[in-house]
Amino acid sequence: MACASEPHGSAFSAAELEFLAEDEMIEIVPNLSMKALNFISGDFGPFRPQIATQVPLWLAVALKKRGKCTIRAPEWMSVDKLAQVLEAERDSEKFQPLPFHYVEISRLLFDHARDDIPDIYMVRSLIEDIKDVRFHKIGTGLEIISKERTYALRLKNLSAMEANIVRPFVTSALETFYKLSSSEMIQESNHVPNRQPQATNRGPRRQLKDR
Amino acid sequence: MYGRKATELVKEFASSEPGQLSTFNNDVFAQVLEECNGHLLHLEPLMMNIQENENKLRDKRSEEEMGMSEDERGNSEAEKMLIQSAIKSDQFGALIHHLSLLRNKRCLMAYVYNRAEVIRNLGWMVDSVLPEEIEEKLSGTEKEYFKKHANTLQSYMAEVDLHLTVDMVPPKDPYIKVRVLDDIGEVVLSDQVANLARHAIMFLRRTDAEQYITQGQMEELTS
Amino acid sequence: MDSGGGEGYAVDDYESLMSTTDVELLKTAWRNEKAAPEILKFDSNLVQRSRQLIQFMEETVDEFNKNGVDPLTVSLYQMDLDRTMFLLRSYLRTRLQKIEKYVFHIRKTAELWNRLSLKEQQFAEGCAIDLKDHLEQSVLSKLPEQYQSHLRQSAASEDDDMVPEPQLDAYVVCRSKRYLGAFQLDDGGEEPVNIEADDLYALPYKSIKPLVESGQIDLV
Repeated sequence: MACASEPHGSAFSAAELEFLAEDEMIEIVPNLSMKALNFISGDFGPFRPQIATQVPLWLAVALKKRGKCTIRAPEWMSVDKLAQVLEAERDSEKFQPLPFHYVEISRLLFDHARDDIPDIYMVRSLIEDIKDVRFHKIGTGLEIISKERTYALRLKNLSAMEANIVRPFVTSALETFYKLSSSEMIQESNHVPNRQPQATNRGPRRQLKDR
Repeated sequence: MYGRKATELVKEFASSEPGQLSTFNNDVFAQVLEECNGHLLHLEPLMMNIQENENKLRDKRSEEEMGMSEDERGNSEAEKMLIQSAIKSDQFGALIHHLSLLRNKRCLMAYVYNRAEVIRNLGWMVDSVLPEEIEEKLSGTEKEYFKKHANTLQSYMAEVDLHLTVDMVPPKDPYIKVRVLDDIGEVVLSDQVANLARHAIMFLRRTDAEQYITQGQMEELTS
Repeated sequence: MDSGGGEGYAVDDYESLMSTTDVELLKTAWRNEKAAPEILKFDSNLVQRSRQLIQFMEETVDEFNKNGVDPLTVSLYQMDLDRTMFLLRSYLRTRLQKIEKYVFHIRKTAELWNRLSLKEQQFAEGCAIDLKDHLEQSVLSKLPEQYQSHLRQSAASEDDDMVPEPQLDAYVVCRSKRYLGAFQLDDGGEEPVNIEADDLYALPYKSIKPLVESGQIDLV
């Protein structure tokens, strides 16, 4: 959609989040020889058979699709590590550290590099559970760092996808608190109930003059 | 009830699907404008009355300053109070008409403003030609606005020498992996000649494969 | 990239600034622009450099095609090029859409007007005229004389009360590059807070506006 970002919407579409995630680096093992790639986004390679090298995820997936490499699953995507994270997520109200784009990275790898992920069904199921537990924590696990006049939240360890979900929810909830506690609220009269940002009607301007 | 028609307009916009437009409601729009004129017809005599009465007040005060008896002064005070009360009541009346006018104006503006935003967004997606189903929902002025805005946008793009209405979503790999479901045979594609045999797994340009996929003759493979 | 504030950078900041590629800078500019409620400063140097990089790469790909470089390599270079083009286009597009939406406000606010490139200013002029004409023809010319302004409700208004403005106290999700101790969220005299480096926070945009402008805080 060609919409400008609205204050009450998600600023980034899922496709855009994936686009950002595709720049994360990942290790591949090429099965071909290729000269170094001098991209605008950086220099990668040269590529030699069986010699592992780091490339951005979009490049890894492109090479994998064309049968030119295998992808090394990132360390955090093992059954052991993920099981630990899941347990910690369940035990604590806080969010556990995870790669910022863990949702998008895992999705891309599931779609395009299934055979490179050991115990993929287990891994997939663990990540789904982790996503779930974290999603349900969003209401309670965020630290309020200020609640006098200006509400502020610390979103420690939240991932890109979760931040994207939280943003509109947090925005309208906090804005409500903000407005209710704001002294300006008393002077504001009719607020035209409208989706679009409108100039606040500051009430009748006419002075009743006494002579 | 003042303002009810105007609310209809705002509700109409608010209840439409985001990005969709209902047919421009010429009827209600005209009715609201008429209401505004009605308010003006009330406002003008009220304002004139207020002015007249204020003049009378001023005259009375000048008279008082020129000297009066006790009795005369008493009468003058009573008359002044009557005039002041008439002014107040006219002012309240005028205020109601003024505020109603303002509210109608805001609703009319909101209706046009918000529709204009949808129209501009369309301009980003369809270049300069509106599909018929959309065009018939626009008022004459809206059609003109669409054209003008499309022009303004084109001018900017020409100035910076960049096409900005393409690439609306992030780019993906132009090639996809597909499995052929039907025996299609040899075809000439944009970058290769391919033999589309049933069960074959191929690496094709997304744009080439799309038509086969929609017809169910091919499926995209993820891994 | 302009840094605005005159503070000295620590040595490793300087190095990280030097090693940040233009694409990464463009990506950051794009993200900030998408997430900020108001229009930010046009980074003309960055845009110019990006366009040069893109043009150079387009020529390179052309050369490859002419010289029969293998299709795999060519398509990979093309993908990298497409990604950069998308960033540039989306950056400019996001800005234009903000201009369209708040054109009257931008035109009358010097601080905002000065954030536009020259060509964006021309675009804004066009937008303003288009919209004003449209409002006048649809509504305003049919209203009583005192109510015909597109900026004010009526001649009795003390200021321009019909101009839509972006909501600067909208909440944004952001990340600070550096630790910010005793940070004042607003000038209402409330308790300051500490902002940890690299953590995400949800704050009103207004509170961090200057830090976004100087590049110390990024929006996400």
